[in-house]
Amino acid sequence: MVELLAPAGNLSMVETAVASGANAIYVGPRGWSRRRDRYELAEEEVHDAIAIAHAGGAKMRVAVNTNMQSHEIPPLLQKMERFVGWGVDGAIMTDIGAIAEVHRRFPQLTIHASIGANILNNEDVRFYRSLGVSQVVADTKLTLKELASRKEQIDVGIEILIHANYCYTYLGKCWMSPYHRLERTTDPSGKDLFKGSPNRGGLDYRVCLESWQLFSGDAKWEDRVGLKNDAFFLVEDIPHLIDLGVHCLKIQGREYPVPLVGEMVRFYRGLIDAYLAHPKGQPFDIAPWQSRLAVFEADRNATRSEGTRLLLIEARQPIPTA
Amino acid sequence: MVATELNTSIANLRDLRASDLRHYDAVYLGDIYCRLYECNFLERPEDLREGLHILRDQGKRAYVASYAAPRNDYLPRVRKTLEVAAREVAEAVEAHNLGIVKIAHDEFPGLAVHIGGFANVYTDAGVEVLRGLGAVRFTPNYELSLEEIRTIGSTCGLPMELLIHGKMPLGVSDYCFLLDYEEKWGVKCPDLCQKDLFLRQGDWAMKSVGKGIMSGKDVCMLEHLPRLLADGHRHFRIESVSETPEYRHQVAGVYREALARAAEAAFEQDERWWRLVRAHARIGLCNGFYFGKSGMEYAGIRPEAAGSLLTISSADRAG
Repeated sequence: MVELLAPAGNLSMVETAVASGANAIYVGPRGWSRRRDRYELAEEEVHDAIAIAHAGGAKMRVAVNTNMQSHEIPPLLQKMERFVGWGVDGAIMTDIGAIAEVHRRFPQLTIHASIGANILNNEDVRFYRSLGVSQVVADTKLTLKELASRKEQIDVGIEILIHANYCYTYLGKCWMSPYHRLERTTDPSGKDLFKGSPNRGGLDYRVCLESWQLFSGDAKWEDRVGLKNDAFFLVEDIPHLIDLGVHCLKIQGREYPVPLVGEMVRFYRGLIDAYLAHPKGQPFDIAPWQSRLAVFEADRNATRSEGTRLLLIEARQPIPTA
Repeated sequence: MVATELNTSIANLRDLRASDLRHYDAVYLGDIYCRLYECNFLERPEDLREGLHILRDQGKRAYVASYAAPRNDYLPRVRKTLEVAAREVAEAVEAHNLGIVKIAHDEFPGLAVHIGGFANVYTDAGVEVLRGLGAVRFTPNYELSLEEIRTIGSTCGLPMELLIHGKMPLGVSDYCFLLDYEEKWGVKCPDLCQKDLFLRQGDWAMKSVGKGIMSGKDVCMLEHLPRLLADGHRHFRIESVSETPEYRHQVAGVYREALARAAEAAFEQDERWWRLVRAHARIGLCNGFYFGKSGMEYAGIRPEAAGSLLTISSADRAG
């Protein structure tokens, strides 16, 4: 059975996602996941999130998918000790060293290789399998053909982002944002938040979406160049992905308003259930789902555009002196 | 005298033949971003073989690069490249992709592997994983500070390679936006990405090589060489894959001299060095992430070093 995985940037979102039909939820402990700290949870909130998810029959994963510093791996292991004790169902991770250490300490814990691991080919998957990873998030740029090849050749769970943005660069292989602005701040626990680095701290200023001019030498060739960055919501592909046997369909959006996340979860829950219930071999009418999607897609795009505008303003702000 | 390695990267035979490599000890062959890069060594086994021979004839260590972001359909070509590297006894292959690390380990066990900057080595535990797969050298992820690099070095014991000059890789894409402009500009692939293209907005700038994005400013660690040597670093890269043969030669000349002097008690810097590195840096100089700050900042004791020729000429005009 395919799993619907939903984001939660606060406890209210956990409750809404569970009530809306998510099979699993993911949250990020503050400072340790690929999202801005305001969309992450304090440790005691992670405890409560696990309890809420389990009470609603859903699984809870914890995203500890920053590329951390060497000295942060021991505190990560202590943190994971607590999460495992509270019954967390899996960890979403990126750093290969941290993955190896967590797998060694908690061999029964399901480890998901994050989108930040940028797993592009079947040999990449074999590499992560050898570290103890049992599920991998497919890069957003992969084709159905590539996913089918992976499913056929390797014993690994595949997770697909059914709603996200295609970045211009490969996720996890980009440091354009901190090149322009990196703010070193620590949270009360001493965790460096690396504000501006999506790989290290989660906050991405989206500088790729700046209105760039293009110069060849000193000559301006173009007054405005847009680096490709399209939002996508998979609808037509959902039946194909289910037939292909993907393990998990994942929604992104810890930073979105709670009602919008609830709406997205209900939409995909309905679509998945409708497809699974329809008679095999009969055509599945996707048109009504496309119409429904258009309604909240506009909300989501407006939310993201405004977020991008504010981030680009923030990216130009001077770094505060200590 | 401290023994160091100064290396660089060259994408094709034309550039290799045009380059004066006297100041280098080693060269990485191939463009890591794009299969369509003009006559890319990584797509041409015969050229790669010849390139390896040219380097060997010049007494250089010959390394072979590999793609930073290979999809499944790249892998047959990657295997061919590794075959040539192994057969011609290249000193090492550089792997940015963990799948390629695994291929090299499993299928070409005699081939030494250098881990590239896109492989995302951020932790000492990560180095241990890669050492287990035969890695003999690694480039820490570019986002790491010298302090963090020192921490890793103190525990891992594996040699590191650092970018000390040139455009720092910032990202890799599957999509070349330059292709959208072929018709409008009347310039076709593979000439598009060789037009010295910069994305600019205000004081922000990045160099575009189509599927690769690099820093607009040149990372410059010239005045910090004594610290790098004191930290035990011995392998240094001048990133010049998207630069001219003149850049490759002249910047290396500066660093070769500077490395020799940096090993001495008093590090006397030559004004000629600064004139040369600034002349080649269209947008200016920066230190990347080595000092724990935004990558485009310059943290040295020579504030004028951060200025670009463009900035300077603007100021002159204003004056």
